[in-house]
Amino acid sequence: MIKIGFIINPIAGMGGRVGLKGTDGVVDKAISLGAIPVAPQKALGMLKEFHSSYSNQDNVHWYTCEGSMGDDALTAAKITNKTIIYTPSHTSTSAHDTREAGKKFLESQIDLLVFCGGDGTARDLFSVLDKKIPLLGIPAGVKMHSSVFGITTSATAKMLHEFIKGRLTIGDTEIMDLDEDLYRKGEWKVRLFGVVKGIVEPTYIQVGKESFESVSDDAVKEELADHIHDEMEKNKEVLYLFGSGGTIDFIAKKLGFDHTLLGIDAIYQNQLVGKDLNESQILDLLNKHKKAKVLLSPIGAQGFILGRGNLQLSPRVIKKIGLDNILIVATPSKLSHTSILRVDTGDRKVDALFMKREFYMVLIGYRLSRVVKIQTNNF
Amino acid sequence: MMTQVTKRNANAFLKEEYQDLVSKNLEWNIRTLESGSKPHSIVDGKEVIMLCSNNYLNLSNHPRLIKGAIDAAKKYGAGSGSVRAIAGTMKIHREVEKRLATFKRTESSLIYQTGFAANSGLIPQLVGEADIVISDELNHGSIIDGVRLTKAQRAVYKHRDMGELEKVLIDADKKYRRILIISDGVFSMDGDIAPMDKIVKLANQYGAMTYVDDAHGEGVIGEDGRGIGAHFHIEGKIDVEMGTFSKAFGCVGGLIAGSQDLVNFAYNKSRTWLLSGSHPPAVSGAQLAAIDVLETEPEHVKRLWDNTVYFKKELNSMGFNTGNSETPITPVIVGESSKAKELSNSLFKEGVYALPIVFPMVARDKARIRTMINAGLTKKDLDFALGKFETLGKQLSII
Repeated sequence: MIKIGFIINPIAGMGGRVGLKGTDGVVDKAISLGAIPVAPQKALGMLKEFHSSYSNQDNVHWYTCEGSMGDDALTAAKITNKTIIYTPSHTSTSAHDTREAGKKFLESQIDLLVFCGGDGTARDLFSVLDKKIPLLGIPAGVKMHSSVFGITTSATAKMLHEFIKGRLTIGDTEIMDLDEDLYRKGEWKVRLFGVVKGIVEPTYIQVGKESFESVSDDAVKEELADHIHDEMEKNKEVLYLFGSGGTIDFIAKKLGFDHTLLGIDAIYQNQLVGKDLNESQILDLLNKHKKAKVLLSPIGAQGFILGRGNLQLSPRVIKKIGLDNILIVATPSKLSHTSILRVDTGDRKVDALFMKREFYMVLIGYRLSRVVKIQTNNF
Repeated sequence: MMTQVTKRNANAFLKEEYQDLVSKNLEWNIRTLESGSKPHSIVDGKEVIMLCSNNYLNLSNHPRLIKGAIDAAKKYGAGSGSVRAIAGTMKIHREVEKRLATFKRTESSLIYQTGFAANSGLIPQLVGEADIVISDELNHGSIIDGVRLTKAQRAVYKHRDMGELEKVLIDADKKYRRILIISDGVFSMDGDIAPMDKIVKLANQYGAMTYVDDAHGEGVIGEDGRGIGAHFHIEGKIDVEMGTFSKAFGCVGGLIAGSQDLVNFAYNKSRTWLLSGSHPPAVSGAQLAAIDVLETEPEHVKRLWDNTVYFKKELNSMGFNTGNSETPITPVIVGESSKAKELSNSLFKEGVYALPIVFPMVARDKARIRTMINAGLTKKDLDFALGKFETLGKQLSII
């Protein structure tokens, strides 16, 4: 029996059509501007597709919230094997309800939580669940930079089916959202809030003539760590900047460094020489060290290597390091999700340098790389 | 008194891992041929149309090959007595290499024990730590194993994508001492052909070495089945043309063809070549006869292609998807893995032997039956097989 949690943020996505950047804290304003709920419809669409195309719910039990937070949609989709584990105290629900329900899901020890919402909903769940329960998002929000979402409602239905069948596996995926502090100052910048467990395509290796074994995401990351270890041993004179995100965090920890998941650290001759650095601290280090390389990995749903979640790596920093000194690592499952690397440095001239370069060789295993195209944000 | 050893059960994993394969339905259930490998074979006691052998030209049953094997055995005996390097090189081995080079229109050639021995023995010698191997993403497992034995960096490019290959070359040109591009000639899952003319051109531009595994191309493509070099009219321009006698040539043995420098290098450095016994004379006798037949009896290659064109055309007109095949390897794409397995089982019951190829060898929704056409099949045989495909395809709602 597989235990699937199901939660809807009924107000997610309401800000979009009335020109708000999300619904966080502005529901009343959205409603007064004429916004109508969109999430319940999308959630129902996913459930119906899952139910009709993959009628295999025999070994699934659903855990959900009362009313518009889940049960209404399950009932409408004619799904009956369910348990209600949370009842909101008001009819108008809020982020508080999402978090409280999250605690109940933890107690129920579910295998996967399917949620319907946007980046804000993902963040609320992340704040309670951390890495304890894998998430799968039905896309319904205004902002969806996080990589926990299926691309469409029907893609989400298919992913859920494949997960239940055991053909997809659990891996790291990022929670991204607008940086509200910067947004209030008039800047639209997306930042990395954390790494959660999500559903990813496994990597396969051939073991027999026609048999393959799937390899866990962590096994691939260990290979990447071995490669980076060799690379650093060979280049003792180079200062290495480690970027943010789950893949690089895994590599750094495997190499024995107390890495900052959401920040930029510096390593020189096997010593951590800078932690959670800001732009000017990075520039100081670059002045001290003649040669530097930066290790990056695509993050978020769109596969950004620069411009989302690592603003410390400013255009000045990138120019100083040089485009040839950017090392990019990614697991094959990550690349199957985002087949293009995106860059948005905020400086058109620097973006143009990336456009001219066209591609990077991305490390996908020990001494193994492949070509990946690069695109700047002018698309 | 015997001491009880309780440290560990040294052999327990054998059974455990086998049972794990069985529980996942991944173990091989090996079928046994009770006849020669012929267009009509007896497999597990049942007569079937053979659509999964690599015996493309039906040479394994050719009287000249059988006679070649017998005569050589009578003249030189059953075994060769040694590895090639010490006392196992016979005149007949040398003769095969000379004739093969002429056939392939290259300066020289070298015979290995198997195709796998050629790839896994030679590739690790061609590149080292300061070098890079660039591979098509769909290359055969024996190439992958050969590459694993090197200390070189590895880069893969999208299947047959010359734009991506050039990008890898641009990057590699700046960073590495030697660059080796390796590709299958004919890809064994889809039956499509690597654009070797373009690969050679790019390689020359960036100073890279080229290596093609022509296992499924030899005896099949190019003038009189001379292989991929002849197919693109670039004979002698591919640095290493690797191949096998086990498929269209109807017997067994790996081969490389290229310059004398390549051959001198290869036999001095390939550990597989140096450390395994050489072919029994009967094998060499059959190899020689196979080259004879290809040079003097062009009808086999012609019949193979006539059969291929007919079979593919009929499948397509029934509504089957045969993918991008350009060769006698004809995939019949059916969709879900379970459907491919079901179709293969039903075909066997009806007297047609063709294997399913399923995820993750191919994409989840591209599971298929892989058929391999043979020059020895008659029109009646092909129509019989096509009839079964049509009936079962309809039953399973594939067409």
